[in-house]
Amino acid sequence: MEPAARSGAGRAAAAAVLCAAVLAVPALFGAFAQYFALNVLLLMLLALSFNLLFGMTGLLSFGHAAFYAAGAYSTALLLRAGAPLFPAVIAGALCAAVLAAVVGAFCVRHTRVYFSMLTLAFGMFVYAIVWKWTDVTGGDDGLVGIPRMRLGLPGPFDLNLAPLRNYYWFAALLVLASAGLLHRLSRSPLGLALRAIRENAERAEFSGIRVRRTIFLAFVVAGAFAGLAGALLAPLEQTVAPTAAHWTKSAEPVMATLIGGPFSFAGPIVGAVVYLGLKEIIVRFTEYWLLVFGLVLLGVVLAFRGGLLGAAEALLSRRPWMSGPRTPAAASPR
Amino acid sequence: MAASRRTTRRTFLKTGAAGLAALAAPRGFGATPDLKLKKPIKVGCQTILSGPLGGYGEFMRKGAVLAMEEINASGGVGGSPLELNFRDEELKVDVGVKNARYFVDDWGADFLIGIDSSAVALAVGEIMPTLNKILIVTHGATEKFNEDLVYKKHIKQCFRICVPVYQDGIASAFIAKDLPVKKWATISPDYEYGHTSWKMFRATLKRMKPEVEFVGESFAKFGTVDFSSHISKVMGAQPEAIFSTEWGGEAVTMVKQAKLFKVFEQTKAFMIAMGSAMDVLQGLGADYPDGVWASGRYYFGYPDTPQNKKFVETFRKRWQSYPSYVSETSYAALYAIKKAVEKAKTLEIDPVIAALEGLQVDRPAGPCTIRKEDHQAIYAVPWGRIKHDPNFPMPILGDLRVAPTDEYYRKPPFPPVEA
Repeated sequence: MEPAARSGAGRAAAAAVLCAAVLAVPALFGAFAQYFALNVLLLMLLALSFNLLFGMTGLLSFGHAAFYAAGAYSTALLLRAGAPLFPAVIAGALCAAVLAAVVGAFCVRHTRVYFSMLTLAFGMFVYAIVWKWTDVTGGDDGLVGIPRMRLGLPGPFDLNLAPLRNYYWFAALLVLASAGLLHRLSRSPLGLALRAIRENAERAEFSGIRVRRTIFLAFVVAGAFAGLAGALLAPLEQTVAPTAAHWTKSAEPVMATLIGGPFSFAGPIVGAVVYLGLKEIIVRFTEYWLLVFGLVLLGVVLAFRGGLLGAAEALLSRRPWMSGPRTPAAASPR
Repeated sequence: MAASRRTTRRTFLKTGAAGLAALAAPRGFGATPDLKLKKPIKVGCQTILSGPLGGYGEFMRKGAVLAMEEINASGGVGGSPLELNFRDEELKVDVGVKNARYFVDDWGADFLIGIDSSAVALAVGEIMPTLNKILIVTHGATEKFNEDLVYKKHIKQCFRICVPVYQDGIASAFIAKDLPVKKWATISPDYEYGHTSWKMFRATLKRMKPEVEFVGESFAKFGTVDFSSHISKVMGAQPEAIFSTEWGGEAVTMVKQAKLFKVFEQTKAFMIAMGSAMDVLQGLGADYPDGVWASGRYYFGYPDTPQNKKFVETFRKRWQSYPSYVSETSYAALYAIKKAVEKAKTLEIDPVIAALEGLQVDRPAGPCTIRKEDHQAIYAVPWGRIKHDPNFPMPILGDLRVAPTDEYYRKPPFPPVEA
């Protein structure tokens, strides 16, 4: 993060800008903008949870969509069975956490490319289950007709979420609160331990950190928040399809994080806005959007090593811009 | 692809402007009375425009653009020109839902057409009451769309102008019952469409010809490039005939590999439900074995009417290619919109829905009726046998056969398929 934002005032300002932007959308724009902003917020949350493993711990997960899908499908099933929304969403996140605990038990035994491959394998495993288990998941048709009715909180908080605007408030607040929690976590002793593991796992082990257990904890927390993003998707789209579990979905938080910059907390937030924003703009101008989008992403990744925020930091601290690839080890301590 | 570049967004706008200009000039024949509707009437079309099946979307786009140009040149819809906008559906549910929301909430679409994937059709269909615009599906074939969404759940904003999976699973059995074979097997896609078609085929054929046996099945996942294991598995059961619902590039690959395995010598009949789609005919070319039974959602050689001939000729002149079935269905969708709006004399949803229900549309594929109960267009599409004719740049169909529509279209209340 750039020096200004590293200070408490800077952080508070950045958070205020984000909150103001989120609050401004329903006031200034129409239904599509709210829907689009929610898509961005969900990718933000997914990317933030992904970066808990990637930027902070140095573990590249290629199977993050598994937890996203677990959250989406379990919430969808609960809502279709008539559960009120708030408990269904929380249960969705918990289901994802349970799945993350099972998958994590295997994955945290490995690091680097082995970890990535294992997460990819588990991700596609979940995808295959979703695709084949037609009776429960609807197979390739997915689950359609997911109701979005009552919030399910006592008294005056039992809002009707059928209007998109009401759902926007609910989901946006939940995402912002989660971002706040994840930010708090990154500054907690657990966050410090994870960074120590990223820098040097052996040394961390010698200084008394139980490396595997710590990574496992991070894995489960990341899975839970990814699941929450998925859980919020189900009532938004009112439909869930197997693409939510596909590896191409796992690639989205990777791209968003690389664009924004993995070494600052706000990186995935900026990345999610840029990734979906760029796509939405390009799609409006050409049917060959994949080509243009690919070229733009290539440009961003090549020109801004360390992501947009990493480049901004380098620029502000007057460091030479292209001083070589920024590896986790070279990241500035926070 | 050179031809496709001709219609950029700008061209659409120009055509729209030309339509307006045409209105200003006094016109005689073909002109429609000005209903003083909003100008232009916007139609959002989403279809697959990227990846290995992107060719389908190109064909759909060409059909829709042709219809728009014709309609605008002859006075538009009730005096208002049509404007089209296209988005890539990517065969992904979330993208499809987003496209629909963009079209309606941001771009201001009055109608939605298109959609290739059944899953996307179902998902977008579910949100149509929220968006409260009319959706006319032109490709996605799942029977759940008309049977569940429209008939059982009463989502009245949903319509479908193309023949559903009944063509693949039921009309096919009407052909199969007359073939001198008893032992059938399938190689089909491993998703809803493949499984449902096979189930309907078995149920229908068994009912009409109880002595048939179904000896083998192999379902290939989406994106299969090597069918050899599926072919050997199925051939191991020694079937006399093979039924397949592989489509697009996968059908091309499957046929080529089946030839290597001498499947066409070892079996007496081979049926490919989507085998008369233009991309399969062009993709296989001379490699397409004579005598394979094939069908689609429309075939340019049927019916033999002046209207169909005129459509094929205009299409060829405009795009230098024969129309594929999605070209006809998207073309028909715009004409259905025109007819319904001019009948309702308004763009309000309920009157236009009422106008569409039971509407007769004279389309290149022949006259069709939009069934009131499930909003499904009823028309007959032939099955035929592949043959090679030097007058055509690709294989064509001979021996065209049509099953009676009131027998092969499932009817309300849509009892479950038992197979």
